[in-house]
Amino acid sequence: MKTTSKLYRTEQRYAYLFIAAPVIGFLIFAMVPLIYSIYGAFTNWDGLGSMDFIGLENFINVFKDEYFYKSMFNTIYMMLGIPIGIVLALLLALALNRGIPGTNTFRVLYYIPVISSIAAISILWQWAYNGDYGLVNQFLAIFGIEGPNWLQNTSTVKPALIIMAVWKGLGYTMLLYLAALQSVPKSFYEAAKLDGANAFKSFWYITLPMVKPVTFFIIVTNIIGGAQIFTEINVMTPTGGPEYSSASVVFYIWQKAFGNFQLGYASAMALVLGLFIFIITLIQFKINEKNSFELD
Amino acid sequence: MIIGSILAGCSNSSETSGKTKDGKTAITFMFRGQPQELKAYEATVKRYEKSHPDVKVTLVQVAPDQYDTKLKAAIAGKKIPDVFFYNPAQVKAYVNSGVLKDITEYVEGSENVNIEDIWEKGVAKYRFDGETLGQGAIYGLPKDLGPFALGYNKTMFEEAGIPLPDKDKPYTLDEFINVAQQLTKDKDGDGKSDQFGAGFNIQWALQPIAWSNGADWIDETGTKVTIDTPEFAESVQWFADQQNKYKITPSIAEAQTLDTYQRWMKGELAFFPVGPWDMATYAEQLKFEYDLIPWPAGKTGKPAAWVGSLGIGVGATTKNAEAAAELALYLSADQEGNQALVDAQVQLPNSVTVAEQWAADTSIKPENKQEFLDIINDYGRGFPAEKTYTAEWYDEFYKNIQPVLDGKMTAAEYVKEAQPKMQKLLDAAIQQEKQAKK
Repeated sequence: MKTTSKLYRTEQRYAYLFIAAPVIGFLIFAMVPLIYSIYGAFTNWDGLGSMDFIGLENFINVFKDEYFYKSMFNTIYMMLGIPIGIVLALLLALALNRGIPGTNTFRVLYYIPVISSIAAISILWQWAYNGDYGLVNQFLAIFGIEGPNWLQNTSTVKPALIIMAVWKGLGYTMLLYLAALQSVPKSFYEAAKLDGANAFKSFWYITLPMVKPVTFFIIVTNIIGGAQIFTEINVMTPTGGPEYSSASVVFYIWQKAFGNFQLGYASAMALVLGLFIFIITLIQFKINEKNSFELD
Repeated sequence: MIIGSILAGCSNSSETSGKTKDGKTAITFMFRGQPQELKAYEATVKRYEKSHPDVKVTLVQVAPDQYDTKLKAAIAGKKIPDVFFYNPAQVKAYVNSGVLKDITEYVEGSENVNIEDIWEKGVAKYRFDGETLGQGAIYGLPKDLGPFALGYNKTMFEEAGIPLPDKDKPYTLDEFINVAQQLTKDKDGDGKSDQFGAGFNIQWALQPIAWSNGADWIDETGTKVTIDTPEFAESVQWFADQQNKYKITPSIAEAQTLDTYQRWMKGELAFFPVGPWDMATYAEQLKFEYDLIPWPAGKTGKPAAWVGSLGIGVGATTKNAEAAAELALYLSADQEGNQALVDAQVQLPNSVTVAEQWAADTSIKPENKQEFLDIINDYGRGFPAEKTYTAEWYDEFYKNIQPVLDGKMTAAEYVKEAQPKMQKLLDAAIQQEKQAKK
C-alpha cells in the first residue's frame, strides 16, 4: 500500500470501473425495486394511484389467504422433483464418467433442454401432455394404457410439471456432477481397491463425500429456483390449473399484482416468500456446516 | 429477484417528450393482435400519418399473452403510451387512477369521423361519469365489438337428415340436447363416440345459458353475487349434464382444452361457438359448411350471448392529446382502416353502415352474419366482471368448478359454497374502488 506504482494505480482505477458496472446495475435494478417493494408491502398500492400506509394489514391477510397456502403447498409439492432430479443426474453422470461410447453425444443431448427457452419447452410439453393427441398418451397407448388428460386433472397436473422440470434440469445437474466426478483423485479408488472395497463401498465412502459440495450447491440453487417456478405454469396452465392445483406462489403473486391491481398485497406475499427462501437456505447452510470436513 | 421483476416490469423505451428530432409531433401506440390484425393496423397507422404529415407514430407491438402485464408495468412506471388498447373491464380503475384521458371533446368535435356511425353500445362501454359505467365522458373508443354467436356444422346436419336449425327461433335447452344426442355417433364402431353434439368450454359458454335462464353472476347494483339462485344452479347443472348425463360432448377434461376447437375444425362437433375473429380461419380451413344461430334459450325463452370488446384509449399523460385522440378515432372509425380490418376477416365493422352492408353480402361466409349484429343490437351483454373494479370475484367462480363438470358435485351444492367466497372478493373489490377514488 505504501509504494504503489503509477501503472498499479491506473489499473486499480480501471478495476473499480469494471466492478462499478455490475454494482450500479444491482443497485438500480435490484436494490431500489427491493426497497420500494418492501415499502409497497405496507401500503394498499394498486399499481396505478397513490400508496397509503396500512401497516401490517397485507401481511395479516396473507396468512389468512387460502390461495396463498394452496399455492405454497403446490410450490413445495413440485419441489419433489429436486431429489428425483439429483439422483437421476448423479446416476447419469456416473455412467457417462465411465467413458461409455458416445459420451459426448449424450452430454449434448441432455444439455439441449437446459439451454432451450423455458417458454418454448413449456409449449412443447403442453402438446405432449394433451390428453387426446399428445405424445405421452400415444406412447402409453402402445402398452394399452389409457393416459389421463395430464394438465386438466388435479391428480396429474403436478406430477406432469415435475416430470418436465426434472427433464429440463437434468443436463445441468449432470454436467456439474460430471465435473465433480472427474476431479476425484484416481488414487483414492486405487487405495480403496487395495484395501478390498467393492464398487458400492468406494461409491459410498469416496464418490459421495467427494461430490458433496456440488450436491450442496445443487440443492440450494434448486430450492431457490423451485420456489420461484412461474413460466411453466403460466404457459401450460394459464388459469392455475384445475381447482388452482398447479398455481405456484409466484404465479399467484403475479395474478394479484397484474390481474387484480393489488401490488401492495403482492409485494407482501413476495416478501413472505423471500423470507421463506432465505430461512430455508440458512438452514441448509447450517446443516452443511455441521457435516463438512477438511481433507488433509 | 421476483420482487425486483414485479416492480421493474418492462418499461418501453419509446420517447415521450412529445416531439421527434425534426419537430414532428410524436405519439406512441401500443397494441396487440393476431398477425393479420397487426398488418391491418400498421397500414391504418401509415394512412393516418399520410393524412397527418406532422405526426410520427411509434408502434409498440406486444404479444397478446403479455399485453396486460406490459401495459400495467408501463402504467406503474408512469410511462403510459399515448394511445393503447385496453380491456373495458378496466375503465373504472384506469379512470379513477388518472391513466385514461377524457377524450369527449375531441370525439364530439371531430370533423372527420361521425361518432353516430360507431356502435352506440360500443362507445357506451367506454363512458364513465365517475359513478356509473355507460354514461358520461368518453374514455376510449371501441377497437371492435366481439359478439359470440353459436355456430353449427351444416354439412353434418344434412348428412344426418336432421332439419336445419331455425335462425330466428332458438332451440329450447331440451331440444338442443335432443338434436345433439342424435348427432353424437360412433362412426367407426370402436365403441367410442367420435362425432359429438357439442364441446363447450364453461368459461366462454355458460353465460348465454345462465342469462337466458334468467340468472346472472351479479345483481344490477354490482354489489351482490347472485349465483346461489335455483335458475343459476339449473343452468350450471345443464352444462355439466351435457357430459355426464347426455354424453353429447367429448370426455370431461377435454371441455377445458383446445381439443374441442380442433374437433370442431375437423368436423367432429355439431355445435361450436363462433366469434368474428374466427371467420378468417374458418373460411380458410373448414372443410364443411357452417352457419350461425342463436344460443339455446332457457326459461326466459329468449336467447342471450355476450359481446366482448377491446378499447382504444388515450393516456392521461400524453403531451399531444389532440393527435392521440385523432389517432384513436381514426383506428376506431376510419372507413378505409375499418375496411382493411374487415377484409382481413378478424373483426366486425365498427361503422354501423359498413356493418349492415357487410352482413347483407352473401359472398362472405357464414351466411347468417346478421346474427352477430342481432347480438349487438338486441340481446348481447357485457361480461359480468366488466361492471366491477377487478375480476377476481368472477374468476373465483371458475377456479373450483371442475368437480361439478366431473359430476362429483351438484351445481346446487357448488353455487352455495362458492357464493360467499365470491362475495368476499367482490366486497374487497368495492373497497378497493372506494380507496382508489380518494
